[in-house]
Amino acid sequence: MGCYHSKKPKSPGYEEPTVLAAETPFTVSEVEALYELFKKLSSSIINDGLIHREEFQLALFRNRNMKNLFADRIFDLFDLKRNGVIEFGEFVRSLGIFHPNASIKDKITFAFRLYDLRQTGFIEQEELKEMVLALLHESELILSDDVIETIVEKTFNEADMKGDGKIDEEEWREFVMKYPSLIKNMTLPYLKDITMAFPSFVATTEVEDSDM
Amino acid sequence: MAGKAAPARNVLFGKYEMGRLLGKGTFAKVYHGRNLMTHDSVAIKVILKDRVKKEGLLEQVRREISVMGLVRHPHIVELKEVMATKSKVYFVMEYVNGGELFVKLSQQGKLTEDGGRKYFQQLLSAVDFCHSRGVSHRDLKPENLLLDENGNLKVSDFGLSALPEQLRIDGLLHTRCGTPAYVAPEVLRKRGYEGAKSDLWSCGVILFVLLAGSLPFKADNVMKLYRKIFKAEFEFPPWFSSEAKEMVSKLLVVDPEKRASMDEIMQSSWFQKGFTKPLSFNDKDELNSEISDLTNPKLLSSSPPFYNAFEFISSMSSGFDLTSLFESKKKQASIFTSKCSASAIIAKLQSLAQKLNFKATNQREFKVRLQAKEEGRKGKLAVTVEVYEVAPELAVVEFSKSAGDTLEYNKFCEKDVRPALKDIVWSWQGENECL
Repeated sequence: MGCYHSKKPKSPGYEEPTVLAAETPFTVSEVEALYELFKKLSSSIINDGLIHREEFQLALFRNRNMKNLFADRIFDLFDLKRNGVIEFGEFVRSLGIFHPNASIKDKITFAFRLYDLRQTGFIEQEELKEMVLALLHESELILSDDVIETIVEKTFNEADMKGDGKIDEEEWREFVMKYPSLIKNMTLPYLKDITMAFPSFVATTEVEDSDM
Repeated sequence: MAGKAAPARNVLFGKYEMGRLLGKGTFAKVYHGRNLMTHDSVAIKVILKDRVKKEGLLEQVRREISVMGLVRHPHIVELKEVMATKSKVYFVMEYVNGGELFVKLSQQGKLTEDGGRKYFQQLLSAVDFCHSRGVSHRDLKPENLLLDENGNLKVSDFGLSALPEQLRIDGLLHTRCGTPAYVAPEVLRKRGYEGAKSDLWSCGVILFVLLAGSLPFKADNVMKLYRKIFKAEFEFPPWFSSEAKEMVSKLLVVDPEKRASMDEIMQSSWFQKGFTKPLSFNDKDELNSEISDLTNPKLLSSSPPFYNAFEFISSMSSGFDLTSLFESKKKQASIFTSKCSASAIIAKLQSLAQKLNFKATNQREFKVRLQAKEEGRKGKLAVTVEVYEVAPELAVVEFSKSAGDTLEYNKFCEKDVRPALKDIVWSWQGENECL
């Protein structure tokens, strides 16, 4: 079939949808629909098939220059190869954790790594304070130092069950079990409807009938 | 599969088992299927791309998918997901097993007035819902009306439907489609037309068919048929009540401008008789959240529930909210901070409820449910508001829809809630970003 040789070039970090589908909760079609979204996000500023930090910020805040500690953390965790850009495979694997069918355990771990700002394997009190300050700044809320200190201490002492001055992953897991709403934003119900949100893949799919 | 009627086990993308053939059309076959994980029954519509492409209809398939993703309603067949290979497109849909309304009608001849009214009510609530989302169906006819196991109506086949983006600059649709007997005159005349108005004409024809057991416009050739439609020339059988006649006569009006509007029909006493709005799907979720509330010990105290720092961060930070990756429109914030005390906020919410004519019920000390007294598109709108305390001078207030139509909820938040609460709000989530 000669007509299939004129395929459009794929993004540099492109991986086969069948491979990604096997490693994530997504079906092959869902991966292909995500590719439609990926193409959109990765070409919004620089058309190179990679999501740059500014493109990520643009998608989240409609503003490419919007600096935000939490968006930065998400970007860094999505960027598995740590080369400053999100490739298609990284995008799909990371979003897989946000799928309603992904395991709770993965979601808890992802949230833990998000809060472990300096990647020491522990969430320290300083890090929690830094995040509270960042949030207050983002929301333009002004609180006295005393109040901030109280908020941080109260939470930290409750989560740090062993009382060793840092929250390890096990303590974090127990804390999440106690307050399940903590991982509410680790699940994106949208991902279940992704094939209907980006239906163009039905025309461009390269899945052979024998593959399914 | 050497010519065998039923292959041993035909699994689609490792997710659905394909079963028996349910029906076929020009471009598609529909099979029964089963989700291997949940064991739920589904209907799988298989479309051959070659056929569709030859007719230049692949774009229409893509459009049908977008439209069906928009219209989730108890009386509309739900599209669950779409899959595709090089040669086929698969629509995984809700399995509706009560057959076509058309078949029931041809067996029974005609329905009683109450029976016909029930289907008409369900049809209009579905069509009204589509119109509120800017979608017109454009191919309403009994063959596209299915019945579920409880005898409730499900509208199917959005293959010809149109989205607002298909409207031309003058706001009128210009492609002609539909089956003549049910098609509005302005559509047949190939003038630009408003899809929503033409749907109402088709609803009028359907109502007539339900109560009469035969079509209002019949002729032995198409030209004669057109002529009758252009003049809205039809006769009522003797058993039609005067109210039913009035209903049909208001819909089968040639001039779309003079045709009754959706509101006019839905507010008439004939329509309202025994009418219950379908409930939104959320009610099930609400029940579940009530159950989990009871098992959460922190919610049983009488002081405002404490919001820990991590809860504060995860719910308030817009950087953690990845939903904006998928939506082009910025979504409505549903959470705000306040300097007021939790009890002052609750008092404010109660006075707001009174002002808006909503019923306020305390579900717990710092959780209020506001319910509209009037019916909406998917039943009465109900909003749950919870107040938490991060610190003595910092409260967090969270809104969520617990019942009703999402569009009505968004409008309610924007038009009624936000302005009214202005003086107690410190900041809305994700909105103070010095853009």
